[in-house]
Amino acid sequence: MTWLKSPLVLTMVGLTAVLSCYFLFFTHHPIDYNAEVKPIINQKCISCHGGVKKKGGFSLLFREEALSPTASGKPAIIPGDAQNSEMIKRLHHKDLEERMPYKEEPLTAGEIRILTRWIDEGANFETHWAYKPVQAQAVPSPGLLSFFSSEDKNEIDHFIDKKLKEKGLNRSQIADKQLLMRRISLDIIGIPAPENIAQKYLSDQSPNAYEHLVDALLASKYYGERWTSLWMDLARYADTKGYERDYIRSIWRYRDWLIKSFNADMPYDQFLTEQLAGDLLPNATDEQFIATAFHRNTMTNDEGGTDNEEFRTAAVIDRVNTTWETLMGTSFACVQCHSHPYDPIRHEEYYKFMAYFNNTRDEDTYDDYPLLREFRNKSIGQFDSVMNWVKLYGTPEEETFYRRLLKTGQQCINSLLADSMVNAALADTKFLMLRKSSWARIKAVSLTNKSTLLIRYTSGHDKGVLSIMLDSPGAKPYLKIKVDKDKGGWTLLEVELPKGSTGVHDLYLNYENSKLKSKEDNGMRFDWFALTPSFPGKTLKDFTVYHDLFVQTLNRPDAEFTPIMLDNPADMKRSTHVFERGNWLLKTTKVEPGLPALFINDKDIKLRNRLGLAQWMTDKRNPLTSRTMVNRLWEQLFGQGLVETLEDLGSQGAQPTHPELLDYLAYQFMHEDKWSMKKMLKRMVMSATYRQSSETSEKAKEKDPLNKLYSHAPRVRLSAEQVRDQALVICGALSDKMYGPSVMPYQPEGIWRSPYDGRKWKKSDGEDQYRRAIYTYWKRTSPYPSMVSFDGSAREVCNTRRIRTNTPLQALTLLNDSTYWDLSVKFAQQLMKNNGLSIQQKIGKGYAKATGHPIDPQKTNALEKLYQSSFQRLEKDKQRILSMLSDSVYQKKGKELAALSVVTNAILNLDEVITKN
Amino acid sequence: MGMMALGSVLDGCNLFSANEDENSIGYNPLSPRSPHFQGKAKSVIFLHMAGAPSQLEMFDYKPELQKMDGLDCPDSFIQGKKFAFIRGVPKLLGPQANFKQYGQSGLWLSDNLPHFQQVIDDVSILKAVNTDQFNHAPAQLLMHCGTPRLGRPSMGSWVTYGLGSENSNLPGFVVLTSGGRNPDAGKSIWGSGFLPSVYQGVQCRSEGDPVLFLKDPNGFDRDMRKASIEAINHVNELAYTEYKDPEILSRISQYEMAFKMQIAVPDVMNIADEPAYIHEMYGTKPGEESFANNALLARKLVEKGVRFVQLFDWGWDSHGTGEDTALDKGFIGKCLQTDKAVSALLLDLKQRGLLEETLVVWGGEFGRTPMQENRDGKQNSFKGRDHHADAFSMWMAGGGIKGGFSYGETDPIGYNAIDGKVSVYDVQATILKQLGFDHEQLTYQFQGRPFRLTDVFGKPIDPIIA
Repeated sequence: MTWLKSPLVLTMVGLTAVLSCYFLFFTHHPIDYNAEVKPIINQKCISCHGGVKKKGGFSLLFREEALSPTASGKPAIIPGDAQNSEMIKRLHHKDLEERMPYKEEPLTAGEIRILTRWIDEGANFETHWAYKPVQAQAVPSPGLLSFFSSEDKNEIDHFIDKKLKEKGLNRSQIADKQLLMRRISLDIIGIPAPENIAQKYLSDQSPNAYEHLVDALLASKYYGERWTSLWMDLARYADTKGYERDYIRSIWRYRDWLIKSFNADMPYDQFLTEQLAGDLLPNATDEQFIATAFHRNTMTNDEGGTDNEEFRTAAVIDRVNTTWETLMGTSFACVQCHSHPYDPIRHEEYYKFMAYFNNTRDEDTYDDYPLLREFRNKSIGQFDSVMNWVKLYGTPEEETFYRRLLKTGQQCINSLLADSMVNAALADTKFLMLRKSSWARIKAVSLTNKSTLLIRYTSGHDKGVLSIMLDSPGAKPYLKIKVDKDKGGWTLLEVELPKGSTGVHDLYLNYENSKLKSKEDNGMRFDWFALTPSFPGKTLKDFTVYHDLFVQTLNRPDAEFTPIMLDNPADMKRSTHVFERGNWLLKTTKVEPGLPALFINDKDIKLRNRLGLAQWMTDKRNPLTSRTMVNRLWEQLFGQGLVETLEDLGSQGAQPTHPELLDYLAYQFMHEDKWSMKKMLKRMVMSATYRQSSETSEKAKEKDPLNKLYSHAPRVRLSAEQVRDQALVICGALSDKMYGPSVMPYQPEGIWRSPYDGRKWKKSDGEDQYRRAIYTYWKRTSPYPSMVSFDGSAREVCNTRRIRTNTPLQALTLLNDSTYWDLSVKFAQQLMKNNGLSIQQKIGKGYAKATGHPIDPQKTNALEKLYQSSFQRLEKDKQRILSMLSDSVYQKKGKELAALSVVTNAILNLDEVITKN
Repeated sequence: MGMMALGSVLDGCNLFSANEDENSIGYNPLSPRSPHFQGKAKSVIFLHMAGAPSQLEMFDYKPELQKMDGLDCPDSFIQGKKFAFIRGVPKLLGPQANFKQYGQSGLWLSDNLPHFQQVIDDVSILKAVNTDQFNHAPAQLLMHCGTPRLGRPSMGSWVTYGLGSENSNLPGFVVLTSGGRNPDAGKSIWGSGFLPSVYQGVQCRSEGDPVLFLKDPNGFDRDMRKASIEAINHVNELAYTEYKDPEILSRISQYEMAFKMQIAVPDVMNIADEPAYIHEMYGTKPGEESFANNALLARKLVEKGVRFVQLFDWGWDSHGTGEDTALDKGFIGKCLQTDKAVSALLLDLKQRGLLEETLVVWGGEFGRTPMQENRDGKQNSFKGRDHHADAFSMWMAGGGIKGGFSYGETDPIGYNAIDGKVSVYDVQATILKQLGFDHEQLTYQFQGRPFRLTDVFGKPIDPIIA
């Protein structure tokens, strides 16, 4: 009771007698650090005494820091002795210069009491809930009454009901059958249920009808497309490279990999492992390499004059931040410059973690190297022939080497690494350019076990001489190569190394050409260099044939190229350093790959590479991976997460509304469902909580206005993708085509205006106009406008959570975008096919098709009135009708079609249509 | 759910008091709000010359540099320095313009800006602005979003987030571009980053619909659109009686606003009805995409209560690699294309009494080197300068900024700031201050911490504040 000795506190106690009694009554409970202490520290203390600032040499981030001597020489906290702890004294100080928080409102008496008790009880720190391993959770008892209830509930409902009961609320009744079908279809496959599935469900009178529907939807091919749209935001997928020039990037095979993996219900642990480290798996398949494009969706900067190493580093940093934010719900970016402001993660731990990602081959090259080559047409046969030859006449090591070289173009040394240039330059800061009498250096090249130098170059002049010296420009030429004008594009030059070459050397390149007039004339431009063992079978008769085939396949294959992750070989390994205050130019301590101490004992990790990292992330002891994902799946279905801040489960994120339920689901996901996303989704949608009606009672509105307790189903506006895809289905226009390069549906003229890029939006032909939204070409600096209106993100960096808005621009898009007007006419045409129906019946049919439930008379009246007034306005105006309908659809009943199109356009705009009810 | 979700996001923000009911029915995230204190400016017009204009041919007069024209650049300026394109030892390049003093203030101006002398006594010139980025896209991002990387809200978004909009029929943050291209950093520099997308800049275009999807489909007339929005809203009202979801009411009001915008936007974007003397003053020609037209539009927009008007004019990257980027050719053309309109904008705002409450800011993303560029080590074919981050000129006018004032000084060749050095963050802090914000307090909670435009830097430039 030391705190009672302070006269100030005594007064306070007097003033807040009721509270104190409450407090005294409960003093035998030890203080709860996470629930009581940490919130005060985060809110009132840590911005000056934490990971960013340590005013007075005092920090509250780690216990050992908090207890160590401050600038005064003495510690501010003495465990067990709050009275003599400077920290507590300062909270009471009368001198405003001395009182903490400095120049802010003083802490309340209650807050001071909590901190005092905390120190008196030993000033113990406790791990934040999200950093503790996930434990099995007991399901709350449903209560006696539930034995008499016929309601079909699952475990989720018991957790939900418990909280509702505490608030005196109840769950709503199960939603109407048709409404529920629309809701779950939009959630599971992103579009209304296909006709066959819908019919089966509506005619199924069995008690399992709903479950059958769920199973059918989960098995549908549309499922993968819907969940891919979510993952594309997390992976910051785009069809361009970003930054100023924002040129094209071909990475759609990764998008297709996502669709296939979701459809195959690839277990989430494998799904993550392949994306993070597919290239490091034994005998990695093409598909596993494609999966690693997840982290090749980082941007590449082609702006002239930019430093390639700076933007390589930026990409690596983005991979670190994205990994934490999207896959482990932790804001990590702040640790780049200093220790975490709120959570116990140290500055240098950022760079230890970065070291996992800092050793990949990508170097901000113009071509986005390394690329996986998926051969096409005759290149398939050529590749096979070359590899058969190598297999027959080479060693197993050579076979591995040549397979990798042909499949990935690696390992090669990008010419942009050249330095020590004299009269040479990096052309457009991308490719080494040698001029007349010029020099450049390629540092630290290993010649051991190599016998051939491959040079990918282009030159516009005959009679050039390229000399290569080892280790000093003054050395005797190691190689002397005659270089003539090539055919344009890149040419592959092969030079044999002198016998017995070994060791690591700097290569000095010198280019001379007496035919060049001026010193400033360009001579030779380089893409890359590679050192290889000699091509096998040299003495054999067909050597030249297969060797030529090899060169051709390596230099210009007919292939699809996709950026992938690939690690540096041992002799090209990068070292990682801590950046002082996050500045990549200020490198300090060298670090090795490792995890923040907060999480796991380093010894548990066997592999010090990305595969080891993936193994840790998918280890059942990892506290974040499963929680983050089940929270995300919940958010997709319920419109908000069990922790609202999907991107931050840390101590500064939102508190979970149902902590036990979150952990229950996270545990089941790993242990019961074996990381099956389909099983987890089924678990969630089978709950009565999911299936309840969205109608809101006055009581619920008053007691729980944000519906955090789920007394009714949420109403959620559809995502940008769902808005488009649903409209395509309603109007009977959706193309079923899956996969392939991104397409360009209609967009107004003049949207793309990037500097230095003449590329234009070229409207796709035929059914490609009507593909699902995920296939729309995504240009980072100019994303598809109608999707942006509906909160689609530019995907420059990962987007963990879309904040839904409601704006007039959304109204304008659905009312006027030619895409939606075109669909409105198609919709009206569909309805016109029902010859026997009255106009009211057609309107009713259209409304039902769009909302999934029948219309009522008042709504029919409102829409029919619109039809009649439009019809009258169009009465004597054939020209206008023509301009509303494209010629191809203008038949006899043009006026009726035009007026009905005005109505279908209105239907596509209804709140009930763009909202999940 | 949508607006509720938004409401709960705003809960985390320090700007709004806790008892303000963001979740109430009809809550509008763009409704006008009060800043931290009474600001002098109500709106901002930011004129960004994308590509970075040369301060040495406009505002920063360096007679010493003229004397050193053609000499090798002293080692001390290039040792350990990184340039975008200069390699090896470049030559110094004297000013490619003549300078004279103008106005009561006697500030120096180049003859590339013949009209600007009329307004020189209304502006404060900053001669020693400093940035740490020397490539276009990152430097533009730093200027507008407070970071060279992507994903943060732009200044206009922060301002509309903080102040809302005074005109419910027009967007609060409007972007106008000229020069045939978008700026290098693309639409991200008017993006809303992690702020709700309602705060992002709306690009108003010179061709096609001024705002995307503003025009009704062919064959529609106003009555038909009115009838259709009435029908939509009627059915939505009926839906509200079923679901009691306040989001439906919000949608009803957004459809009403969309209908009003369809009239208000083309109306404000139409400059044809302006009197002849205005066209003469700005050098505007209705129907074309030009900086002059955009300058006049900027005046019309702030007059109607638009909070933040952002102009980008492309084509200022005077490297001297071709005639269009030569300081004695293309660059002069760019000055002439904009000088008259910029001056007219200030005069016009002034004659309408709007300059006092409108802060006008002019600048590029960085400046240009006192050296002739030698791209990749060889002399460029035309007179041109490389990117220069250490010191460059910007100016501000109106909105409580001193007139006829110059702040900051560079060394005799215009390379380094030697006095009154200010950073891009200081410029941002100043703009926010004139609007009534403490730049350290205008924050938004994201990823577990409060973010702000000026990151952890910035201090208002008090000497230029009247």
